[in-house]
Amino acid sequence: MTDQPREGTLQSTAVLTEQTDPAGIEPGDGAAAEAAAGPRAKARTLRRMLRQPVTLFCLAMLLLQVVLALGAPLIAPYDPAAPNVANKLQGPSGDHWLGTDDLGRDTLSRIIYGTRTALLASTESVAIGLVLGVGLGLFVGYRGGWWDRIGMRIADVMQSIPALLLALALVAVLGSGLGNAMLAVGLIFAVSFMRITRAVVLAEREKLYVDAARVLGLRSSGIMLRQVLPNVSPPLIVQASIALGTALLIEATLSFLGVGIDATQVSWGAMLDASRQHVSEHPLLAILPGAAITLSVLAFNLLGDGLRDAGSPRSAPRAGSGKKAKLPIVSTPVPSPDDALLRVDGLTVTDRNGAQLISDVSFHIKRGETFGVVGESGCGKSITAAAILGLLPKGVTIAGGSIRLEDSELAGLSGEALRQVRGKRIGMVFQDPGSALSPVHTVGRQLTDAIRAHSGLSKAEAHDRAAELLTLVGVPNPQERLKDYPHQFSGGMAQRVVIAGALACDPELLIADEPTTALDVTIQAQVLDLLASLRERLQMSLLIITHDLGVVADSCDRVAVMYAGQIVEQRSVEDAFAEPKHPYTEALLAAVPHSETDGEPLATIPGRVPPAWAWPQGCRFNPRCPYATDDCRTGTVPADADGVRCLRVTELQLAGAR
Amino acid sequence: MTKFVLQRLLSALPTLLLVSAFVFTLVHLTPTDPVAQILGEGAPAADKDALREQMGLSRPIFEQYIDWLGGAVTGDLGNSLYTSIPVSESISTGIGITLSLAIAGMAIALLAGVPLGVLGALRPGTTADRLLTTVVALGLAVPSFWLGLLLVLVFAVNLGWLPVVGYTPIGEDPGAWATGMILPAIALGSHTAAVIARQTRSAMIDALESPYVTTLLARGIRKRKIVLRYAIKNAMVPVLAVIAIQMSVLVAASFVIERIFAVPGLGTMLIDSVVRADYPVLQGAIVLVAVIVLLVNLGADLLYGVINPKVRPQ
Repeated sequence: MTDQPREGTLQSTAVLTEQTDPAGIEPGDGAAAEAAAGPRAKARTLRRMLRQPVTLFCLAMLLLQVVLALGAPLIAPYDPAAPNVANKLQGPSGDHWLGTDDLGRDTLSRIIYGTRTALLASTESVAIGLVLGVGLGLFVGYRGGWWDRIGMRIADVMQSIPALLLALALVAVLGSGLGNAMLAVGLIFAVSFMRITRAVVLAEREKLYVDAARVLGLRSSGIMLRQVLPNVSPPLIVQASIALGTALLIEATLSFLGVGIDATQVSWGAMLDASRQHVSEHPLLAILPGAAITLSVLAFNLLGDGLRDAGSPRSAPRAGSGKKAKLPIVSTPVPSPDDALLRVDGLTVTDRNGAQLISDVSFHIKRGETFGVVGESGCGKSITAAAILGLLPKGVTIAGGSIRLEDSELAGLSGEALRQVRGKRIGMVFQDPGSALSPVHTVGRQLTDAIRAHSGLSKAEAHDRAAELLTLVGVPNPQERLKDYPHQFSGGMAQRVVIAGALACDPELLIADEPTTALDVTIQAQVLDLLASLRERLQMSLLIITHDLGVVADSCDRVAVMYAGQIVEQRSVEDAFAEPKHPYTEALLAAVPHSETDGEPLATIPGRVPPAWAWPQGCRFNPRCPYATDDCRTGTVPADADGVRCLRVTELQLAGAR
Repeated sequence: MTKFVLQRLLSALPTLLLVSAFVFTLVHLTPTDPVAQILGEGAPAADKDALREQMGLSRPIFEQYIDWLGGAVTGDLGNSLYTSIPVSESISTGIGITLSLAIAGMAIALLAGVPLGVLGALRPGTTADRLLTTVVALGLAVPSFWLGLLLVLVFAVNLGWLPVVGYTPIGEDPGAWATGMILPAIALGSHTAAVIARQTRSAMIDALESPYVTTLLARGIRKRKIVLRYAIKNAMVPVLAVIAIQMSVLVAASFVIERIFAVPGLGTMLIDSVVRADYPVLQGAIVLVAVIVLLVNLGADLLYGVINPKVRPQ
């Protein structure tokens, strides 16, 4: 959920290089997102694992258990099965550190030998489960068809009987004894291992290389085996670790019930069962084996969790973060007209490592004006919008500058004061209407809650108002549609619902963050027209965030071009498009395809937006700028009266929109 | 809706048939010979054969299965080989007790697991959350029968607040029934509580990071309302699947708990029949549990439609 790119993929109308937005918390660390296969990924997983103290502790615990299990005859002070009735039910003493049981057997020795039984039992059953499960999973996955159907039906049958019950039944068939009990448990694990393996095989079968191999006349099974095994091992290792804990628990349970084990073997579960008669006078007899079971299962479970965390790219620390010296926070005051509704002044936003996601951003929006912010993904447009409403992601904060709505300061606002602005004075429309609405609540519920957030309307009044809003944004049959859920709306209609929600309390400013990116091309124009007509009818101001210059040309009065966290040019749309002053604006305009240029290769901007912790020295655009000189690579570039951050602004003659 | 339920029940039939055939075969493969158990190992072979013939155990297994199946459809699951009490009669009293224990365990698991998971998700990474994660990890590792023993030791033996063991039928004395159920239900429910808490926590964290929460915040809706009305309902969608699985886990786990607290449920009956190779009781009980698991899954699917409109049967 969190790593959805906030800006979406690029439309077909521009050929800018797209990259994950740093606003999406996880910057383009593509390498980490690779499957955990391959030696490099394995080494990385191992390194991460070794940095988890809990995992290390669990590994140490397991090592200790293995040593105890293997060396039991040497380590245990007494024969665990030797009765000594004269010495029965003794408390801890110098001779018997943990006391003796009802037959006078040494508890410490029995716990040590119990480790042996427990580990043997769990490894045996997991090994059986792995061999059988992976084999069957590969088989039904490859053969597919009837084999697959029969295999999955048997899996269903096995899983409709609870594991413990199945183990009981199988033990009844196979006869008691540790080996049989664990064979039963192994069969149960085989079912879940089979499901995992089969899923990976099915996924691999869909991949192109299998087709390619077939075309070349190669046997696809050999190639797939080499692909499937590395892909299936990470989830299997995690599952196996947890299965080891489960097996241990089942072994203890069966022994406790007296069906799993014969009398010659020492088991923690059987010790617990035997302790029941004496538990009130000798609680230690019950506490010790139970604690041993709990600790062992805990170690296996936590190890499994640790392996899973280490293998998942989410926990990867961000490459390169914190390596660079922090940039100074600069705030350049920029004059703005008295009638401005929103004034953003020298706004700087940093992430938790101090990297500046946006630097010294200043702009204003007048009443009734439509203002556009344009740039590639990763330039800080969405962060700017989120900062205005205090919706920055966790760890991302405003480090400097101010955001004023008329006379009230929004930066640093929190709690009730912030809530009073959200929805009431500033409304917001999001990129993807599919995810901006709660899937399990009716549209009516979501609209009435938005309405009642800032008004004392009754439920019935709010309901009427919600229907009015739907009419306003052009959703037909509003009374009926209020009862519908978001998935019953098409993308364009759902975006109209999101817009209705933003308008619920008559805001003075509407922020639209990529309002058309997730929509079909045919719907985009309708939604833009709707926004324009609403702005006029409701006399709002409109802030449109987009990477689509077409949207800016159609809808906006003025535009700010953002690159690498800075505004690099800020002018009226006609001027900026006709005679751009910043090379980045020129490059953006050149990358818009035109029908007249048929046959010419489409211009692209070489390179891509650097991540926030690696903004270039000097002009941030210099590595991609065809006009860059040595001067552009040092110092800082201030903005001129038109908001243009370019040292060569007076000498360059740049091409406008064609 | 009715059509959906009927469809689901119909599609469960083949699975049920397979389960019964599987269990029937399995049970008859048992090395323990019930005839020898009844007459004693040293009984004359002729007597053994006569009894085997009389009990219908010498016929081909397939015939026996068809017979059994024919009876099962009409509710006749045969008689116990030992007590001659009809299986349907004895397991129906047992299943009632087991189910009430499992439901009580689930109630405790939900009451503890959901709020704990939500609290952890509200402030992930804080000391309270870490404490919670530790408690959850412990809850997942503690064997329920050990917890049961410890609970008895503390609350019944040492403090004397609750009865040690024993079961009072609810018809006899509802108060005694309830107090007798408290410790078994806690022992049974704690593992499930941990599973539910863990699932709820991660589902809530996902829900709270969802774009629609940002939308609701941007509308000026109070955080409290967003958590209580929106995030929890969304988080319950994945948690419900876990609850369904856990319900059948609880039925099986209650067998062990019954033994500790001397509750005469299905588990006690089942373990006795395993030891004695009492075929009719064993297969009747296992098939009944499979039926319950299938019904629980159906119930979960229906409930799923209630909270998730996307899968609501039309």
